[in-house]
Amino acid sequence: MGKYVLQRIFYMALTLFIVISLTFFLMQLIPGSPFSTAAKLSDSQLAIMNAKYGLDQPLPVQYAMYMGNVLQGDLGVSFQFSNTPVTELIAGRIGPSLSLGLQAMIFGTIFGILLGIIAALRQNTWLDYGSTFVAVLGKSIPSFVFAAMLQYIIGVQLGWLPVAFWRGFEYSILPTIALSIFPISIAARFMRTEMIDVLGSDYITLAKAKGASGYEIAFKHAMRNALIPVVTVLGPLTVSLITGSLVVERVFAIPGLGEQFVTSINVLDYSVIMGTTILFASLFIFTVFVVDILYSIIDPRIRLSGGNN
Amino acid sequence: MRKFSFLLVLTLVASIFLAACYGGDNGSDDAGSDDAGSDDAGSETAGQELRVMESSAIPVMDTIMASDTVSFTTMNNVMEGLYRINADQQEVPALAEGEPEVSEDGKVYTFKIREDAVWSNGDPVTANDFVYAWQRALDPDSGSSYGPYLMEGKIAGASEVFNDGADPSTLGAKAIDEKTLEVTLVKPISYFNSLMAFPTFFPQNQAFVEEQGEDYATSADTILYNGPFVLENWDGSTDGEWVYAKNEDYWDADNVALDKITFNEVKDSQTAVNAYESGEADITTKLSSELVPQYEGDENMVSWLEPTVFWIKMNQTNEALQNENIRRALAMAIDKQSLTDNIFNNGSIPANYAVPKEFVQHPETGADFREANGDMLTYNVEEAQKFWQQGLEELGVDSLELRYLGGDSEAAKTSDEFIKDQLETNLEGLTITLESVPFSVRLERDTALDYDLQMAGWGPDYLDPISFSDLWITDGGNNNMAYSSEEYDRLLKEAETTYANDPVKRWETLQEAERVLLEEDAAIVPIYQRQSNILVNENVNDFTYHFVGPEYSFYPISMGE
Amino acid sequence: MANHSDKRFPKAMFEPAQVDEALAEKIEKPSLNFWQDAFLRVRKNKAAIISFIILMLLVIVTFVGPYINGYDSETQNAAHSNLPPRIDALADVSWLPFEGTWEDRNGNTLYPYEERGIEESYWFGTDKFGRDLFTRLWEGVQISLLIAVLATAIDMIIGVSYGAISGYFGGRVDNIMQRIIEILTGIPNLVIVILLILVLEPGILSITLALAITGWTTMARVVRGQVLKLKNQEFALASKTLGATDFRIIFKHLMPNMVGVIIINTMFTIPNAIFFEAFLSFIGLGLQPPDASLGTLIEDGFKVMLLYPSQLIIPSIVISILMITFNLMADGLRDAFDPKMRD
Repeated sequence: MGKYVLQRIFYMALTLFIVISLTFFLMQLIPGSPFSTAAKLSDSQLAIMNAKYGLDQPLPVQYAMYMGNVLQGDLGVSFQFSNTPVTELIAGRIGPSLSLGLQAMIFGTIFGILLGIIAALRQNTWLDYGSTFVAVLGKSIPSFVFAAMLQYIIGVQLGWLPVAFWRGFEYSILPTIALSIFPISIAARFMRTEMIDVLGSDYITLAKAKGASGYEIAFKHAMRNALIPVVTVLGPLTVSLITGSLVVERVFAIPGLGEQFVTSINVLDYSVIMGTTILFASLFIFTVFVVDILYSIIDPRIRLSGGNN
Repeated sequence: MRKFSFLLVLTLVASIFLAACYGGDNGSDDAGSDDAGSDDAGSETAGQELRVMESSAIPVMDTIMASDTVSFTTMNNVMEGLYRINADQQEVPALAEGEPEVSEDGKVYTFKIREDAVWSNGDPVTANDFVYAWQRALDPDSGSSYGPYLMEGKIAGASEVFNDGADPSTLGAKAIDEKTLEVTLVKPISYFNSLMAFPTFFPQNQAFVEEQGEDYATSADTILYNGPFVLENWDGSTDGEWVYAKNEDYWDADNVALDKITFNEVKDSQTAVNAYESGEADITTKLSSELVPQYEGDENMVSWLEPTVFWIKMNQTNEALQNENIRRALAMAIDKQSLTDNIFNNGSIPANYAVPKEFVQHPETGADFREANGDMLTYNVEEAQKFWQQGLEELGVDSLELRYLGGDSEAAKTSDEFIKDQLETNLEGLTITLESVPFSVRLERDTALDYDLQMAGWGPDYLDPISFSDLWITDGGNNNMAYSSEEYDRLLKEAETTYANDPVKRWETLQEAERVLLEEDAAIVPIYQRQSNILVNENVNDFTYHFVGPEYSFYPISMGE
Repeated sequence: MANHSDKRFPKAMFEPAQVDEALAEKIEKPSLNFWQDAFLRVRKNKAAIISFIILMLLVIVTFVGPYINGYDSETQNAAHSNLPPRIDALADVSWLPFEGTWEDRNGNTLYPYEERGIEESYWFGTDKFGRDLFTRLWEGVQISLLIAVLATAIDMIIGVSYGAISGYFGGRVDNIMQRIIEILTGIPNLVIVILLILVLEPGILSITLALAITGWTTMARVVRGQVLKLKNQEFALASKTLGATDFRIIFKHLMPNMVGVIIINTMFTIPNAIFFEAFLSFIGLGLQPPDASLGTLIEDGFKVMLLYPSQLIIPSIVISILMITFNLMADGLRDAFDPKMRD
């Protein structure tokens, strides 16, 4: 176990290193000056600005500088936000994104699991088809269309919930629903398959033979074992939440990381793009790592070893 | 069971975390509860409280570092310079006690600073505050871009301080005494007073700035204010929600009606409209052109013609574009009226000129700049085709291929698609390759003259036609299309030197220069002048917008039926 | 005991059965190859069959559509901008939205065709440049499908080769190749796609490439797993003993056994690619005009959704149908190919 964890940590570090290098060099390939005021500056003024930010150095030097800074937790300064450190930008924006993401994950998985259980218990009935339909729909409708419809119908037309901004729990309900539609569909499909699998196993038959009620079988015996593999979808879920946040935060005017990422892409704010990329990658790598460890802890059948396979 | 308790713990931890996140966001709690109140019953708590949506968070609050509209607008409302632009777009003395004394040659201005002007920590605003801020703006180490841009070539010594490391004290801005500021210019500048309303020229309290050091202007508490409002509840440039409170120490506080203004960042225009419709905000961001037709005739839509003109630059390093007939053909082959009326449909107007309409007025008669020259290079397909054939013959070719460099904003993409279609349809043998790139890339290729045609727009930073005219002088910083006309250069030079102290002559010379640029040389293809449209709740009185620099002023606004 | 039974059943009652060697090999059920077997099972899945039929119809319309009504997808006509859908034959059916009217914010009905005196009918209306949206929609679907299919094909080629080599040769090769995949999957797709498109400038090719580059790892993993399982089975060993080359064993013997898995994976990749393309358009990294894809059409429609809702709804319906049918078909195929589900 210890050896396995160490090995994983090594690969995590290596992956991150590659991500950072890749991002750095790809960003160098993109043309364009980082200064938003470049149009108004003379050449000599630009040269002085470039020198100030070390942009006149040869590429390897800039790369070494950047790597050194990243190791010290310094992600550079944003040019769009006149010299605000990127770490500060991220720190100021991560709150709403994290709480929205967690809310969507919790709501999405719980609701999705319930949907999956119902579908499995009532296999091949309209309940099953209905929940499958919801799941497929969730996977199929582009999130921005769904978010916009939700906002317009529930927020503007019906006036039930606030339309935009981030001021408290009721403001987070619509974006949470919009963001969790994808987790719901993933969790529901996964849970359904697992449940059907478990329901067919011998010990459930035994429980039935002993005369356990349907409810008892479903929730006391079957669900517990079916839940274990569901942990593995947490990795893909993180990715879908990050992707979703780019859209949902924009539509609901939530001052989060995703919205900022899209803005920085549109104005090519290099350092913010790089910083956010590194953060997203770390988050993803870390989640996958935690999921693997968790999985080995909660499922006694799996023992991790340092070797292959 | 263990597995379940684990999940339970996970959920609990997560929910605690969530609660913490909300708490953090609302910061000062009273603001949070107020907001909640205003949601339940918009009319009841309306009082003197305004809710505004902005297109971005405030990137920066250090006046010398700002380069964007949202920052300038905020500074204009929580701080103040020697002058201020009023609702009629006229500059009026603000921190300056009356008009300055101007020397005979128009190069030395002496400003008196109001006795009752104070910073929010109680310090008086002094002449040294200006000197300090301006010197700081020209220090290459501070990394200001608007400082050198606005001061070089205007204030004596600015260029030497910034480029050659001259001693900052050689800058032509001196504190004669506590309340007297003397500014020496490189040349007479007729619009110098209006320039003083620009936030880059605002004062800074030296003792405070130095005491805060790195932390200066990073949050509401590390800034000193001297304007009609103070910032409250602003945690730095990432904060998507911020609040103004009335500044009771402001010298003209009696004439400021609003007690509180709440701002929210909204990127998506549709979202802004939805929030406005559901009563969560009083003022929207600028509407994207798709949304405007929906509110046509709605009295809550406030519209104004911006002095921003969009044109196509023709790069004369390309041999074909050196040909005047080709340029003239391109300029006359685009149905601008159709673009503004059918495609944009947002009140923007076709531009047949290089200096915008309703921007500046004749110094004596008050007539619009446009009246003398009228329309030039108007749409005329037949004429265009004639020039085109003639041009092709002169070049000895029967077809042309041109690269068209466009922006990636919505409006840019729309107009570029339309213009490509117009040019290719109306001019036989012309092929346009469209390249849509982000703003910064476009600028880089502009500087490198790496394009044939380029869609570009220009919004001025001060109220004077020269902000448009001096774009096109030979080797001018923004020319970048190899346009060079001796006649144009001579006219511009005359306007800036010979007639520097003769506003009427200067005015007429600049009008003549525009005529040379378009009518004689067909150097650019003017396309359209942009209109801004926003929604303002009917409870908001005296909504005030500006043409240059800061976009809005909130001090004249009051709430009520 | 034996005697006792002998009495009741005299030997004379029995006669020895003729054991026909040939009959022993006879299979009562009709012989089914892999495909027939799979098809039989897919056939039972009604959702998958219906999806398949709808999808085929959609594909046919997609390729025929642009030529039906005589409009060109790129010809602009500013005077005809933003017209509502109108189909003459259906104009009188009040519950269908093809009467050629819009409704404004206050619920008043607008008649742009009549107001502007336009005789022609645009079946799905026009966009802001007055381009026919019916033609544009189908050309857009073509491009979306092209991107998705192309990206998936590249995915498949890289993924299958990589997975097969890694799994077949095993040992050190496998170890290194797996570590590379591990690192690659550690990087979120979204990030790579966005970075690549920023560098390459948006276009059909760059979007396809970006999708393909990030998508093949799943395929590689699945194929590797299959190869690991299959390579030690008797038929593979037999072939090896007979002197077949590695290449031949992989592609001639192992591959046919993995077709099911590969197809299922492909069927899931296509809708993902369609979805991702639409997503990229929404965050401003989509195709360059005047090209249209489902993503750019939806994005354009999104901006005018309150005023001209059909511009958003029509492409949204089409993308939803595409996604749903592909997903349901993939589900059906997975069930069909999965030996666990065999009955």
